[in-house]
Amino acid sequence: MLSSMAAAGSVTAALQVTEVLEAIVSCCVGPEGRQVLCTKPTGEVLLSRNGGRLLEALHLEHPIARMIVDCVSSHLKKTGDGAKTFIIYLCHLLRGLHSITEKEKDSLMCENIQTYGRHWKNCCQWKFISQALLTFQTQVLDGIMDQYLSRHFLSIFSSAKEKTLCRSSLELLLEAYFCGRVGRNNHKFISQLMCDYFFKCTTCKSGTDVFELVDDCFVELNVGVTGLPVSDSRIIAGLVLQKDFSRYCPADGDIRMVIVTETIQPLFSASGSEFILNSEAQFQTSQFWIMEKTKAIMKHLCSQNVTLLLSSVRQPDLVIYYAGVNGISVVECLSSEEISLIQRIIGLSPFVPLHALSQCEISNTALVKFCKPLILRSRRYVHLGLISTCTFIPHCIVLCGPVQGLIKQHEDALHGAFKMLRQLFKDLDLNYVTQANDQSDTASLFICKNSGESYKVPDARNGSIQKPYPDTVIENKDELEKTQTYLKAYSNLAISDVELETYIPYSIPKLTPADTFQTDETLRCLSLEKNRLIGDYEALLKSSSTAYSTRGNNRIEICYENLQVTNITGKGGLLPVSFKLQNMGTSQSYLSSSVPAGCVLPVGGNFEILLHYYLLNYAKKCHQSEETVVSIIANALLGIPKVLYKSKTGKDSFPHMYIRAVHALQTNEPIVSSQAGLESVTGKCQLLTSVLQCLTKILTIDLVITVKRHPQKVHSQDSEDEL
Amino acid sequence: MSRLDAKKPSLCKSEPLTSERVRTTLSVLKRIVTSCYGPSGRLKQLHNGSGGYVCTTSQSSALLSHLSVTHPILKILTASVQNHVSSFSDCGLFTAILCCNLIENVQRLGLTPTSVIRLNTHLLSLCISYLKSETCGCRIPVDFSSTQILLCLVRSILTSKPACTLTRAETEHISALILRAFLLTIPENAEGHIILGKCLIVPLKGQRVIDSTVLPGILIEMSDVQLMRLLPIKKSAALKVALFCTTLSGDISDTGEGTVVLSYGVSLENAVLDQLLNLGRQLVSDHVDLVLCQKVIHPSLKQFLNMHRVIAIDRIGVTLMEPLTKMTGTQPIGSLGSISPNSYGSVKDVCTAKFGSKHFVHLIPNEATICSLLLCNRNDAAWDELKLTCQAALHVLQLTLKEPWALLGGGCTETHLAAYIRHKTHNNPESILKDDECTQTELQLIAEAFCSALESVVGSLEHDGGEILTDMKYGHLWSVQADSPCLVNWPDLLSQCGCGLYNSREELSWSFLRSTHHPFVPQTCLSHEAVGSVSNLTLDCLTAKLSGLQVAVETANLILDLSYVIEDTN
Repeated sequence: MLSSMAAAGSVTAALQVTEVLEAIVSCCVGPEGRQVLCTKPTGEVLLSRNGGRLLEALHLEHPIARMIVDCVSSHLKKTGDGAKTFIIYLCHLLRGLHSITEKEKDSLMCENIQTYGRHWKNCCQWKFISQALLTFQTQVLDGIMDQYLSRHFLSIFSSAKEKTLCRSSLELLLEAYFCGRVGRNNHKFISQLMCDYFFKCTTCKSGTDVFELVDDCFVELNVGVTGLPVSDSRIIAGLVLQKDFSRYCPADGDIRMVIVTETIQPLFSASGSEFILNSEAQFQTSQFWIMEKTKAIMKHLCSQNVTLLLSSVRQPDLVIYYAGVNGISVVECLSSEEISLIQRIIGLSPFVPLHALSQCEISNTALVKFCKPLILRSRRYVHLGLISTCTFIPHCIVLCGPVQGLIKQHEDALHGAFKMLRQLFKDLDLNYVTQANDQSDTASLFICKNSGESYKVPDARNGSIQKPYPDTVIENKDELEKTQTYLKAYSNLAISDVELETYIPYSIPKLTPADTFQTDETLRCLSLEKNRLIGDYEALLKSSSTAYSTRGNNRIEICYENLQVTNITGKGGLLPVSFKLQNMGTSQSYLSSSVPAGCVLPVGGNFEILLHYYLLNYAKKCHQSEETVVSIIANALLGIPKVLYKSKTGKDSFPHMYIRAVHALQTNEPIVSSQAGLESVTGKCQLLTSVLQCLTKILTIDLVITVKRHPQKVHSQDSEDEL
Repeated sequence: MSRLDAKKPSLCKSEPLTSERVRTTLSVLKRIVTSCYGPSGRLKQLHNGSGGYVCTTSQSSALLSHLSVTHPILKILTASVQNHVSSFSDCGLFTAILCCNLIENVQRLGLTPTSVIRLNTHLLSLCISYLKSETCGCRIPVDFSSTQILLCLVRSILTSKPACTLTRAETEHISALILRAFLLTIPENAEGHIILGKCLIVPLKGQRVIDSTVLPGILIEMSDVQLMRLLPIKKSAALKVALFCTTLSGDISDTGEGTVVLSYGVSLENAVLDQLLNLGRQLVSDHVDLVLCQKVIHPSLKQFLNMHRVIAIDRIGVTLMEPLTKMTGTQPIGSLGSISPNSYGSVKDVCTAKFGSKHFVHLIPNEATICSLLLCNRNDAAWDELKLTCQAALHVLQLTLKEPWALLGGGCTETHLAAYIRHKTHNNPESILKDDECTQTELQLIAEAFCSALESVVGSLEHDGGEILTDMKYGHLWSVQADSPCLVNWPDLLSQCGCGLYNSREELSWSFLRSTHHPFVPQTCLSHEAVGSVSNLTLDCLTAKLSGLQVAVETANLILDLSYVIEDTN
């Protein structure tokens, strides 16, 4: 019964789903990516290369797919980038895991285990793998980033201390960013536009607060104009409000403005009160009083040289008339976002009309450089020259395009670019656990001895399957696909082994638990036998290559200033990497460090190849079953450069590029990238973490149960809500 | 059913352009637009199956706004054409046809979208820079000191819209009116920044086109009963005008958020009426001669004003408010009391006028840039078309004022441009390819697709089975009638090129447009004598055509770049 409503939440199912998504998403990746046309139920047409938007537009039904989309969108909320890479990477990870299942399924086939039993067993196994992934992500990944990858990082800043950007490096960064986001004939133009905008809006003193402001208020900072070619897009100084003047009075010289959030005309009766009229004269008097009061307030504003009134509410005819009489321009019905943006820029608080007359001078006015109507394709806007009191110099982007859908795409891309810059200007914290480097092997050996189980046999066997793999990757000078076939060949070999030893299949599911428990057990065992171990550990620590000195529970902080010298576009930049070492116990040291703000790497899969290389190196040193997980992660990373180099042939093709890069790494030479352009490391790190978290989530699900509710019931609930 | 239905999954199609359905819908759209193109274009009748309004048109703006397209790709195409038309009013069909042709031609080649888009962009910039350059052979300067070229420009627009059903004389009449209306909107003594006035089009359906006329000032329509009540004013000086934007009907205005409790016997209506009459007294004592109100004036107030020889006109509507403010120089009044004296304006004179069966009050300005174009045509459909055409022509004149150049029309610009591009890509491909990864073969293929797309646009000017030729010197277009004998001397058959600049007396050699011929250098640098000697040229607006060209290529690029279409079926 259950089987009719429930589907196994297996890797296979997840893989099928992600493969479909990958097919769609991979056609939009990179400089060769193409556009996707989405329609909305309202009939609106949207052009997009934005992964998040595409996934959203698909309205997926499959529960696993929905979960993946949720993961992607929560990642996007954080970073605004990387949805497509997310899917590709996830797909490759699942493929890697799937190939293991296939292998093990074959081995299980010969057993007479019931299907259900096998399913549950698989699920347990996935759960352990997912725990291994989590451990890797929380304890190992950041360490690799910090200890190996960081030496390749470049800094975008021309001067790291002051976080200043030079135009050429920003151009490289933005061009690479827009390559993947807007149509290929527009990306150069849009990245130039963004570059101009950036330098026009910021001063040398501006910091990350500018990005925050632009990111938060981007909708208010751009104006879309349809019917004009994209090349007519431009930047204009000042702020453009998407409203027309209710009354415009040209003014010269000093323009002072006030912001109001309520009607200036006093209300006839306040809310919650009762106004008792006893005679007609009383009504007329009160009307007269209202009129006179309004007139007086407007006169007062005029006497204070106020010539512009911005209002978040609609003002009555009377107010507008007296504004006109007194030469005050009025803009009404501004949205709360527009008001808050203006307030953020000039730091002006709203003016309270009723208190105005009691004060002889209105304190909350602000000077404006200019204030005039702006006509863009026969629509009128209000153009304000605000004098900024913060580090943001107000400028607006006028985005032109033949259709609204294209303008929207450009707007999204520009907004995303600011999100990306905002992330780039922040340090990314890295936290990881190190078992004083190479000692992990010995520690695990120790565990094996201690537990006294027969794990060694399957481990050794597993090792024989897995170990040749990384070697082949490096040695094989042709294609990665080939290595995969090699792998299959090896796994076939393994099967024959399995067939011989009948007791092994039962121990296979336990294989992984052994790894994941290992660390915990290491801790426990070590703390139990602390006295005996300390000596050993100190010896190990002393011999370790990084030579951290640890003693008992003492806290030690080591700061490495200027660990690396990097070079960007001819200008030297120093990249400080600070280490904070905190020794918690005897066996594991919890380290925290950070990817400093402004870290970048050349585009074209550099990050992925580097991480792939170091992960494989790390995997060699790992305990055998951990090695499986790490090498799956490492190999999945190559999925992204493979897509990027799909269209290239000859010397630029992926295998050639890969071999060159690995060779360069082995010989400690700099990697030569064929493409100019930079990408943010922070974004990539966050992406990797998000993907691994998503995969962990997928693996922990063992069953998807479809709940069918009767429509009537939903209906009745609904009507109750209405009541 | 419940409102909480789950969203249906979207439809996702890969490589949309290869699907048969898309190709057919695209070709249907293309047939619709090509058959409308040009002075001899066929008309389309658009109507709702369940009755109602029928639109007869051959204009892109009317056609596309009535057409409901469902396929997302077509939506992109029509939306970009419509957006272009709403900003430039002209060259809509040109844009649509060129875009369709480009997509069709490039599709046939089967090159990768990357190189197609890159090369298309290169060719486009080549066209743009040529059309903007001094050496351009299909561009003439517009001289605002004489009406000749301006009239040609307007006439070309009128003749390209056959659904207006104008005779030759009518065309001349309307062209002159449009030009006069345009000139009236230009302020007389403008320095530096010019702000153009407005031309209001007043409908007068069922009259002869010849009865159309242009008047300075504003016409306000009125029933003859109302008109009778208006007293003739005899006054030598200008009339003082008060313009109200608030209602004068005696409604109780906003009483706030609280409750108002009335004692027995208190009538707020009377109180407000008292207020209104006080206002009337103030107006009279301020010597106001004309009271205009956007909304309704209370009959008592109206009567009061009439008694004091003040003309009161109400229900003017929001559309006339801005021109009225501008023309009279008033401050729209939003108060029922204490009117500041500087918010009054003035008009030179007020008179009544009768055109056809309609009565109007005519406000004559002192000096202003507002004029009214009384437009007559025989029936509703033709009038609507004529109105759109007039608006387009006025807009084109404004654009020309900004950029005083015109392009040769009648298809000559397109053939000339195609000849230029062919010559450029053939003789100097390196300069176009510069730093690209595209090959020369790719360039030749794309250039051929691009040029033939341009040429098929002008090919669709011919709807009666005639032939289209091009000359090998200027690269202009020449058309031959359908049933002409084949083996005769070309100069006898051809009288004039498409734009009317050259005639066949010159020693020229011709070839069929669709036949393959060697690339040649079309003669650049138009001589002024040649232009001056011809009185009847067909001209196009430069700004509109440039933008149309860009929009067409950009949209085609966009559509060619599509790899998936995701359709939301909710």
